[in-house]
Amino acid sequence: MPDPHTAASATRTYATSETVDAVVVGTGAGGAPLLARLAAAGLRVVALEAGRAWDPAREFATDERAQAGLFWTDERLSAGADPVAFGNNNSGIGVGGSTLHYTAYTPRAQPDDFQLRTEFGVGEDWPLEYGDLERYYDEAERALGVSGPTPYPWGPPRASGYPLPPLPLNGGARIMERGCAALGIRTSPAANAALSARYFQPGVGWRAACTNRGFCQAGCSTGAKASMDVTYLPLAVSHGAEVRPECFVTSIERDGRGHVTGVIYRRDGRDERQACRAVFLCMGAVETPRFLLMNGLGNESGHVGRHFMAHTGLQLWGRFDEDIRPYKGIPGGLISEDTHRPAGADFAGGYLLQSLGVMPVTYASQLARGRGLWGPALDEHLRGYNHTAGINILGDCLPYDGNRVELSDETDARGLPKPRVHFSNGENERRLNAHAERTMRAIFEAAGARDVWAFPRNAHVIGTCRMGTDPEASVVDPDGRVWNVPGLYVCDNSVFPSALAVNPALTIIAVALRTADRFLDRARRLDA
Amino acid sequence: MPDAPRYPTGTVRALIESDAVTAPTRAALLARLDAPAPGAPRFLDAAAFATLAAACARLLRPAHEGAPLAVAAGIDARLADGEGNGWRYDALPPDGEAYRLGLRGLDEAARAAGSASFAALDGERQDAILAAVQRGEVAGGVWPALPAARWFEEWLAETCELHYAHPLAQERIGYAGMADAPGWPHVGPGELEPREPRPL
Repeated sequence: MPDPHTAASATRTYATSETVDAVVVGTGAGGAPLLARLAAAGLRVVALEAGRAWDPAREFATDERAQAGLFWTDERLSAGADPVAFGNNNSGIGVGGSTLHYTAYTPRAQPDDFQLRTEFGVGEDWPLEYGDLERYYDEAERALGVSGPTPYPWGPPRASGYPLPPLPLNGGARIMERGCAALGIRTSPAANAALSARYFQPGVGWRAACTNRGFCQAGCSTGAKASMDVTYLPLAVSHGAEVRPECFVTSIERDGRGHVTGVIYRRDGRDERQACRAVFLCMGAVETPRFLLMNGLGNESGHVGRHFMAHTGLQLWGRFDEDIRPYKGIPGGLISEDTHRPAGADFAGGYLLQSLGVMPVTYASQLARGRGLWGPALDEHLRGYNHTAGINILGDCLPYDGNRVELSDETDARGLPKPRVHFSNGENERRLNAHAERTMRAIFEAAGARDVWAFPRNAHVIGTCRMGTDPEASVVDPDGRVWNVPGLYVCDNSVFPSALAVNPALTIIAVALRTADRFLDRARRLDA
Repeated sequence: MPDAPRYPTGTVRALIESDAVTAPTRAALLARLDAPAPGAPRFLDAAAFATLAAACARLLRPAHEGAPLAVAAGIDARLADGEGNGWRYDALPPDGEAYRLGLRGLDEAARAAGSASFAALDGERQDAILAAVQRGEVAGGVWPALPAARWFEEWLAETCELHYAHPLAQERIGYAGMADAPGWPHVGPGELEPREPRPL
């Protein structure tokens, strides 16, 4: 096994006075692949990460509370008709960002996901097409070591199959498979960025196969799950990048022409400055717009923070006669994309279906919020935990002008304004959820469920710095360049113009690799 | 549900002490299992803490002995340390203020029912107050400043998160995921590893 932490301490570092080619702020699915690509091209690059570096084998407990340090806990104010949960729902901190606790579900978006407005007259088209990202999807799946079915049953034909066969289906996956089969809904083992066999990646080394520990959402202790700290970050370090943890970036510096010249960050209670030629903001769809708003950057259009999206993520839970033991196996083992454009839909877009495993504290917490059980009813329900299986959807969410991130008047422990996030589902999301709930209830009924209950939720933070070709209607151009701030870029899920009906991580990585290549192309042209 | 399974006791302590549990996991679980009795509250005053502990006892009934007090102490410690879970409903005041108001509201309701405090009420009437707060069917006193149903949801969620992180609560529901040193080759329905507890 490689030890990226030992490796990092022995590798290259840069003086803060040395003008590096680029600083990458954030080390999640946006920052890490970008960092690796720029470093591989020979650029001098530094990543600044607000959180600490972890040694998962020695430090990660199989215990949800003990792992709370993986979540971004600077307080956010959740407003609107459907306030979005943060923290363990979707926000990470630490070297690797929220990939430290993502479920590692890595389906590709389908070509029509990028053209929602063309297809339905609502939402937004991307300025990119599937074809612009296809080779980056191929590359990312190999770099992560995605386990999945070949051929994949949905979407366009692919140049190559998944590098590894699928992971085993756990109890919840088998239940969903049974229910779907009875209804004629096609299913397949899903694509998961966790290794079904040991896997070698140049620049990274060998990673061990998944042990079916089922704890992806609270941190993988074995390195089988492809979080950035065991994939793109060691690759970046092997090419000479520096990853500098526990540095909280607060502002940038610019020259008389407005070009970026440095970045200011807080470390050990003191401000430091790293000189650089370019800064990439890769902090996610809340912290990235918050940074731009706090610094009055890139907001001539008024679009910073706007069009916040959160996938429709309705969950359905039920009790089964079989011993399911929902803590075992890859949590999202089974998928169906038959509902990508479902028959009889009265809404734009669509959704995919995923089986669900669940850890006990997460389940108890959702049960509290979703059903409000307490006393003997709570105790009795949770004694059925081992017989519990779930399904959830991952569906489109249209961009609405009123759903947005803004700065509040309250300050946090760092003395910075807390972000307030307004979110309300619209009619399209309500119709999609209603369709999905009918579908999932039919699946569970066919599978023999009892005590079925639905947990409405929205998950993943998307949008807020959308990419576009019109500076009046976007924050960055299709290459991630912030309009009117030369040298400043955004490279994370905040640039997504639409939500895409898939889990975002793989597409964030693909966009990041493309953003890096476009940056390198321009640099080469300038040199020539 | 009347057919909810029951599991044998002592299984989690035995697992923790075996080599089926990794060192970081064992440390996290033993810290809870062997935690000393909570000391004096650091954030809430004694009266508010007594109300919280009494109310947690109703929410968690029939939990193992000491569970409600441990949960109340966990909430108090978090508030004293100024920690949070990364978000709060914009409609609610900051967490500490919300708990102080909500607990005062429980006592106000108890006094309206003729009792000196919430903790002094009998269980049935405590439950009636809690149910009214959960439904948001409370008025006057603190409630104009605190959306009752939202606060109750936050409090119940935190109570569940603290309680079901405890090894004895996990043992009661037959959870064995903490036995994390070996892998889990058997993951299909009805496929159990030898170390997974069977229902009685």
